[in-house]
Amino acid sequence: MPLPPTIPFIGITWADALFLLLGGVVLGSATLVVLGRDIIRNGLMLILTLGALAGIYVVLGASIVAGAQVLVYIGAISVLILFAIMLTQSKSASAQLNFQTQALPAALASALIGILLAVALGATQWGSTVYNDTPDPAGTATAAAVLFGPWLLAFEVASVLILAAVIGGIYLAMKPAESEEIEA
Amino acid sequence: MTDTPLSTAPLLLILPLIGFAFTAAFGRRLGKRAHIVPLVAIAAVWVLAMGLAIPALLGDPALGGEGSSLTLFTWIASGDLIFNVGIHVDGLTGALLLVVTSVGALVHLYSVGYMSHDGSYWRFFAYLNLFMFSMLLLVLADNLLVVFAAWELVGLSSYLLIGFWYTKTAPGLAAKKAFITNRVGDVGFALGLMGLVVVFGSLDIHTVLAGVEAGALVGPAATVIALLIFCGAVGKSAQFPLHVWLPDAMEGPTPVSALIHAATMVNAGVYLVARMSPLFAASHDAMLIVAAIGIFTAIFAASIAFTQTDIKRVLAFSTLSQLGYMFAALGVGAWIPAIFHLITHGFFKGLLFLGSGSVIHAVNGEQEMTKMGGLWRKIPITYATMLIGTVAIAGLPPLAGFFSKDEILGEAFKFGYTWVWFVGMIVAAMTAFYMFRLMGLTFWGKSRVHDESHVHESPWTMTLPLIILAVPSIAIGAALGFPFADGVLVHALEPIFHPASEMLGHEHEAWTLFGIDGLLMLASVTVASIGTVVGVRLFRSDNNEFLGRVTKRLQPLYDGSRNRWYFDDLNDLVFVRFGRKVANALWWFDRRVVDGTVNGVATLTSSGGRGLRQIQTGRVQNYALGIAFGLVAIAAAYLVIAG
Amino acid sequence: MSMIAGHLEPYLVLSSLLFSIGAFGFLARRNAISMLMSIEVMLNAVNLAALAFGAFMPTLAGQGVAFALLIIAVAAAEATVGLAIVIAIYRNRKTPLVDEYDAMRQ
Repeated sequence: MPLPPTIPFIGITWADALFLLLGGVVLGSATLVVLGRDIIRNGLMLILTLGALAGIYVVLGASIVAGAQVLVYIGAISVLILFAIMLTQSKSASAQLNFQTQALPAALASALIGILLAVALGATQWGSTVYNDTPDPAGTATAAAVLFGPWLLAFEVASVLILAAVIGGIYLAMKPAESEEIEA
Repeated sequence: MTDTPLSTAPLLLILPLIGFAFTAAFGRRLGKRAHIVPLVAIAAVWVLAMGLAIPALLGDPALGGEGSSLTLFTWIASGDLIFNVGIHVDGLTGALLLVVTSVGALVHLYSVGYMSHDGSYWRFFAYLNLFMFSMLLLVLADNLLVVFAAWELVGLSSYLLIGFWYTKTAPGLAAKKAFITNRVGDVGFALGLMGLVVVFGSLDIHTVLAGVEAGALVGPAATVIALLIFCGAVGKSAQFPLHVWLPDAMEGPTPVSALIHAATMVNAGVYLVARMSPLFAASHDAMLIVAAIGIFTAIFAASIAFTQTDIKRVLAFSTLSQLGYMFAALGVGAWIPAIFHLITHGFFKGLLFLGSGSVIHAVNGEQEMTKMGGLWRKIPITYATMLIGTVAIAGLPPLAGFFSKDEILGEAFKFGYTWVWFVGMIVAAMTAFYMFRLMGLTFWGKSRVHDESHVHESPWTMTLPLIILAVPSIAIGAALGFPFADGVLVHALEPIFHPASEMLGHEHEAWTLFGIDGLLMLASVTVASIGTVVGVRLFRSDNNEFLGRVTKRLQPLYDGSRNRWYFDDLNDLVFVRFGRKVANALWWFDRRVVDGTVNGVATLTSSGGRGLRQIQTGRVQNYALGIAFGLVAIAAAYLVIAG
Repeated sequence: MSMIAGHLEPYLVLSSLLFSIGAFGFLARRNAISMLMSIEVMLNAVNLAALAFGAFMPTLAGQGVAFALLIIAVAAAEATVGLAIVIAIYRNRKTPLVDEYDAMRQ
């Protein structure tokens, strides 16, 4: 049975409902990431945020990015963050304050930034296309043509960057070598 | 080599200079023989000077009248401004040379005896020669810039000689006072010279005077420049209000007082005004001021001389008074009598000072007349010559002073300056009075000397100059001034002062014995006689009681006169005390405001730095917050401005 | 007719709000790892914006996607190195709290 065009009893389209749901989850869990007390819980909330964002990417019609998001962000980066959290746990973690003394000015600044950005971006006439349902942009092939065409250099540089990051990361995280071992 | 009549003139300058240099370099080693070179140099200078002066005064075609000039070298050549150093000799120069070199030579001889006990014998003669060089340069120069330079050199020599005994406090202070007071006058002089350069583009005396006679300088400009130049004369010749240094200058050795402060240096001011007579004649107001200051100084100084007890100070105030006469004469346009009085005064005042030195030497250094008395028997030669000098200065005929003083007063009256004549008469009486008071206290009555047995006449090196000076004191008046208004000096100086007299509209009248001139002469002789008689009667013997009663009756006047009318105290109050207050205030200002501002800037910077340093917390998040706020601010501004 | 999901602006507003949340977390938290997590949040906000533009602007047809992929790559590299640094500092200072890293303070 095909879905009715709008949600019954409420009257918004499924696309809108999906957007609102996922958007709410993103904002809510992001708020918990920055405001939460226990740092491991923050990490898990981060994973939730990233996941919901992947959903929004799908709504936008960029499924490949959603896939990369899940694989790289959730699968690698978030895990890495959780490892780092566990490695840098200190005993008095629960008793400490979590926020800096500059938290209030920080809140003010970020609120202002948010408002400015929202107003500026929302109010500008972008000349964008309007879709009936969810956006339906050109497919992955176009993106690939851009990435491996005009933006090939950026692609190659990114791969070199990742290589450098890996090497750097390994070196930085190494335990300092004992002097006797080298002489021997 | 007699290409020009002035071929020997440069020697007049070179010889004293050599004398100075030689004595300065080798004097110490020569000890008691240090006087030989300077004395010989001055003797030679006298001979050469007479060789120039006498022809000039007697109307020699080359040197008389307009005179001759000799340019030596170009001193400054800067674009259009050219200043040459040269020598000019005419009748006026001759008159000055006569006094300067004659008295100068006699003072050199006198100093051999007077300074014989002094340890710095050689230094004295070196300075004397330096002074002679400076004074001769001043009188011979034909460019006002050279005159100014010589003016300063003369002031320097005076400073060195007044402060000769510099190990004592008083001479040092007196020397400084002389120099500083002179300097005040010199400021005016320099400004006047600058004015002349602006108007005429040159300081060559001929150029300037020719320009003035042609009418290039009139009105307020002429008055201002003339008065500025007069400032210099006021300082150098110790007229009111710059007279304060002359009495104090008596701290110097007596030969110095005789030479510099009676016969030569103080005459420099008179010479300057006389030389620049057309400039002064161009401004009636300037002449009036010159006459007023002159005659005021005359009576002011005479009134102080009444009560002084130091023999040299009486003579100092007397010099001030006589100089006042000379300036009064210049101020009324009586140019020739002024120079005449300059000459006669140079001789008899020089005589009086050297005589006083002899007296002081006789009573072993005592200068207070209250400790003298009854000396006429003990030091007859000194007494006789000083008596001659006193009669001369009192203006009693037929001695020198009578001729010159009478001419001044006569011309003042005839040119219409009755007030000058009247005050001058009073001063003549006062002069006679206080001079005979000096004679009475010093030579007559009972002896009040501390140690009578040691009173002795001075050596020949000191008495000979006295005798020699007595001769012109007696005779030079008649020699130069007789017949009246038609004598040697009149003929010699007439051509020089003719342009100035013409500008003033003064006619040269014949002298009438049975007319106004005779009457005036009778009046001045009468007045002088009255003063003489009163002075002699009061001080002939010890008249203490009568004098004591008179003094008590007039106590305030007596005290005022004794304290020089408190003018030195006024100077102290205004310039020293008040000046110190102003200096303290300025020092406070400099410390608090000026330094305060500078220090304040430094303090501001360092405390500002200390404050701003707080921003460097070392924490990245603080910096990031700063970035966030900055971003907000820029974005908001952009939205507001562009949107 | 989608009133929200078919327009560009809602996605941009969502992106701005997410960015400000991440900024607050970065400026206000004491733990270094919390700061890094906030950075990731901010980067994702940018990603969202880029994709939205790519989807809604015909001239930017495939560029949104390509841009987003590159950002993910860069974010991965940055997280790696950042966490390695935090661990290295933790070894030295024994604390993950950034306000105790003040050796550069005056």
